[in-house]
Amino acid sequence: MALMEDYYDRGWSDGLPVVPPTPELVTDFLAAAGLDPDHVVGTVPTREVMVTAEHVAINAVMAGCRRDYTPVVVAAVRAHLHEKANCHSTTGTLSGAAQVVIVNGPIRREIDINCTSGCFGPGWRANATIGRALRLVVRNVCRSVPGFLDRASFSTPARYSFCFGEDEEGSDWVPLSVERGVPEGTSAVTVHSTMTMASALDLTSRTPEGILDSVADELRTRGVAGDAWLGDGSTVVLVIGPEHRRYLVDAGWSKADARAYLWKQLAGATRVKVAKPEGILMVAAGGPGMAETWLLLPHLAWAITEPVVIGPPNGGS
Amino acid sequence: MSIIGLDPTSGPLPGRDTGRRAAPRPESLDGAVVGLVVNGLGRSEPLLEALYDELRTLVPTGRVVKVVKSSVSVPPEPMDWERLISEVTVAVAGFGG
Repeated sequence: MALMEDYYDRGWSDGLPVVPPTPELVTDFLAAAGLDPDHVVGTVPTREVMVTAEHVAINAVMAGCRRDYTPVVVAAVRAHLHEKANCHSTTGTLSGAAQVVIVNGPIRREIDINCTSGCFGPGWRANATIGRALRLVVRNVCRSVPGFLDRASFSTPARYSFCFGEDEEGSDWVPLSVERGVPEGTSAVTVHSTMTMASALDLTSRTPEGILDSVADELRTRGVAGDAWLGDGSTVVLVIGPEHRRYLVDAGWSKADARAYLWKQLAGATRVKVAKPEGILMVAAGGPGMAETWLLLPHLAWAITEPVVIGPPNGGS
Repeated sequence: MSIIGLDPTSGPLPGRDTGRRAAPRPESLDGAVVGLVVNGLGRSEPLLEALYDELRTLVPTGRVVKVVKSSVSVPPEPMDWERLISEVTVAVAGFGG
């Protein structure tokens, strides 16, 4: 307890209890990731911050991760520190954007990532602690401490943790990671900074066109952020629940078909600053009951997909 | 039994943990070179220009140095920071995002 109180006093917690990151545990987590402690996972140049594998392992232990989650956390941190994931802006913004980690591939089953009912919420250790580990890295290593470099006016509870998986078993669709170039059967994470979440609730439509018109209406109303710096890589994430999915799949619509239809519907929508159809990312997730699609509207960043690997990426150092 | 816990941070927070503080406010803006840091959101540029015009009716300031960010998504460029640090007495940054 004394160590935990000390971590609170030093401002090293998100307000929840942390697991003491002992040297033995951290060494074990690094071994699980196949990384040396000083391996550089990424940087935040505007803050003169370098994030090492040891930083990631320490914060993963603190978040309550199991050792076998570490490669997923490393991939999430690597994705978030991609230049166009825009760590500086998305974690400092007044709007309080949250970082969502979307997991694909066999690792979901291996570590029990929830992809179905309740997948945005509490109750699953992997979801809860992987998302939290990324946020602890953002806080402790990248220096987005509330009142310091985190200037959020309200912030969001999604900043405690936001991680879920794609329901690949419950969907005939091509998984998000495969659509984004990761080989089928390879686990991957996609990290997306979301400023606003909104539900496109449509309980009555029974056709793909009707459902997607509701989604397009919500997108037009809410708008999608983007600017010149983001170029043609700006993205928005649509998380499509089973009811909506069923009507699309039963009518023979793939993700690509749905995307093409939405793209046409969004023509001329000046507040939707997605530059090309591929910027509309689709994820199958959620449980039955509510016929809805969740819109994860972006902050000023691209969603970035990274494979989950043991060791340095591409065999490098 | 004692437990060793490792430091999860990338070092002390500048200002907060190292004793660095914001520069004191100048006692007067008389003759001051005023920096305007334009985020690019909304109508931030005319707003800051109007603010500067209003300021000049109150105080005989010196010249203005305006920095317009290349994008709302990113901080000012290093050369813009350099201009602000080397040339201005005070700077106004009106918009977040």
